[in-house]
Amino acid sequence: MVRFKHRYLLCEVVSDDPRCRLSLDDRVLGGLVRDTVARLHGTFGGAACSIGFAVRYLNAYTGIVLLRCRKEFYQLVWSALPFITHLENKGHRYPCFLNTLHVGGTIRTCQKFLIQYNRRQLLILLQNCTDEGEREAIQKSVTRSCLLEEEPGEEELSDGGEAAAAAME
Amino acid sequence: MPAPAATYERIVYKNPSEHHYMKVCLEFQEHGVGLTAAQFKQLLISALKDLFGEVDAALPLDILTYEEKTLSAILRICSSGLVRLWSSLTLLGSYKGKKCAFRVIQVSPFLLALSGNSRELVLD
Repeated sequence: MVRFKHRYLLCEVVSDDPRCRLSLDDRVLGGLVRDTVARLHGTFGGAACSIGFAVRYLNAYTGIVLLRCRKEFYQLVWSALPFITHLENKGHRYPCFLNTLHVGGTIRTCQKFLIQYNRRQLLILLQNCTDEGEREAIQKSVTRSCLLEEEPGEEELSDGGEAAAAAME
Repeated sequence: MPAPAATYERIVYKNPSEHHYMKVCLEFQEHGVGLTAAQFKQLLISALKDLFGEVDAALPLDILTYEEKTLSAILRICSSGLVRLWSSLTLLGSYKGKKCAFRVIQVSPFLLALSGNSRELVLD
């Protein structure tokens, strides 16, 4: 069958600074990845990866990013991600790195992985949290996510986001 | 009685040589431009870096011989990087603002093949 095949890279922006995630912007991040690929793989790599490149999903609370690229050149993009060290926004530089969680062929598989990953992260947060109020909030999120197993949807992503944001602060 | 079936034995040699050797010559549009061996290597690496980036600028490239008068050299590159080196030499246009071009004279996986060139053979 004739269609353009893509690879979706699910990444997490990890940083010490809590302001770094909130200043995530899809255009800024897209430009940053393109510049890094061009620096690392030259004119050829930069042009090859820019054809089908897009930032498909961005969650500022959890720092989850979904990048799309063509199947033939996804390794060029993947190999350039460890070379991203700073995120620049409005004159502020935040040191950060991109951790790749999953590579999928479609957005749906990445979403399924993200739901399972967020469920596991909630349980880890539950173990690590110290405050009673936070603990109750996380327990509520965990029970809600277990009940909603039949319906994978945006709710799962936002649940994990809010609880994570509350736990970080 | 029918003849016995012939037995066949197939021997396949995959290219055992890890390196490829290229004989190249650099031509400038104007005369009188000289380059030291270090500058020549710098030019090659900047050509690779321009087209293929930092990753391929770090390919193990060696200049085995270099003649400053004729600006010709014998290069050695690992076999996986041959196509990239050749294409970046093709697309190199200028050095310090002066127009130049690389002429690739001979390419071979064996260094011995570069020692004699039948085109330059002089018959007495």
